[in-house]
Amino acid sequence: MVDWRLFEPLFNYARKKSLWIVAFCTGCGGIEMPPLMTSRYDLERFGMMPDPSPRQYDLFLITGYVTPKTLKRIIITYEMAPDPKYVLAHGSCPLNGGIYWDAYNAIKHLDKYIPVDVVIAGCMPRPEAVMDGIQKIMEMIENGTADGWKRYKENYEWYKKNQDELFGEGWREREARRWIPWLMDKKKEE
Amino acid sequence: MGEVKWEREQMLVDKILEKAPYAEGKVRRERRIEFSIPADRIRDFLMLLKENDFELMLQITTVDWPNDGELELIYQMWSVTHRTHAMVRTRIPRDLDKARMPTVKDIYPVAETYERDAHDFFGVYFEGNEKMEMPWILDDTEQGLFPHRKDFDMLTYVKKKYKLLDRFDEDKDNYVI
Repeated sequence: MVDWRLFEPLFNYARKKSLWIVAFCTGCGGIEMPPLMTSRYDLERFGMMPDPSPRQYDLFLITGYVTPKTLKRIIITYEMAPDPKYVLAHGSCPLNGGIYWDAYNAIKHLDKYIPVDVVIAGCMPRPEAVMDGIQKIMEMIENGTADGWKRYKENYEWYKKNQDELFGEGWREREARRWIPWLMDKKKEE
Repeated sequence: MGEVKWEREQMLVDKILEKAPYAEGKVRRERRIEFSIPADRIRDFLMLLKENDFELMLQITTVDWPNDGELELIYQMWSVTHRTHAMVRTRIPRDLDKARMPTVKDIYPVAETYERDAHDFFGVYFEGNEKMEMPWILDDTEQGLFPHRKDFDMLTYVKKKYKLLDRFDEDKDNYVI
């Protein structure tokens, strides 16, 4: 029987070298993604690429403010991903609300609802700052300190309590049911 | 410089007002005209505008006037043919049970979205728009809370909803920003 924990440093090295980013841009920071991905800063030389499917990604970029409506989708997308998964939050809005500190429809602390590994300060962070944050998260992956996915499992009750406080008990099912009539209408029209 | 006259716009206003005696209209400046009409004639008037080559509805803007107890709905129309922007203003009462309007969805299909917007943020109910009650931008709103109304108590709502207390500390010992 092989003890796979022996190979963990090797796995971590491999993980940091091929981070796939889920294509989920919230808020203003999405506009910093095109220069980051295209020829000027060319993120693919680090082995990173945007990935349309939530089932295969490693890195979740929260680019900007998060509304409760988006947060529901973020939580669902985050929970779909296989372990290990890392979250990188851009700018001050996910950190503490930023300029939306008194707005009725922007959440103030993202790390109350999902675990955040690295937060980049600034509004908005330039692609250089994002790359700096990515380098930081690569270091943290290699030495094993990017453990947000473990924290989410261990403290799931706390995260779930915060989520339920904001959205109300049973919000996942309620959200699914709410959209069923709309889907049915679409089918009737076809 | 003398007083500038915009004859083309004035002709357009006269032509529309001739068929709609209930409306008031004026020229604001070049390529901007403005009408104000009673709320129950909105469908007639928008049909008339559509006949007069106002092909596009750009937006339905809502303005809250709490001192008058009224909400002002402004229909922004654009005519590609005349290259002219028309504002159609109308006022309705602000009380939730009286803030009702007939929908103009069948005249301008884009109005469906803007009517839902006005319902979400200001609580105007558009009769005939069947998507009115569907969740849209604010999909977990509490009943009777319309955040863009001027008497909406933002800080109390934020404190209650997000449980964020340290920033609102009254003696400012514990301020974050």
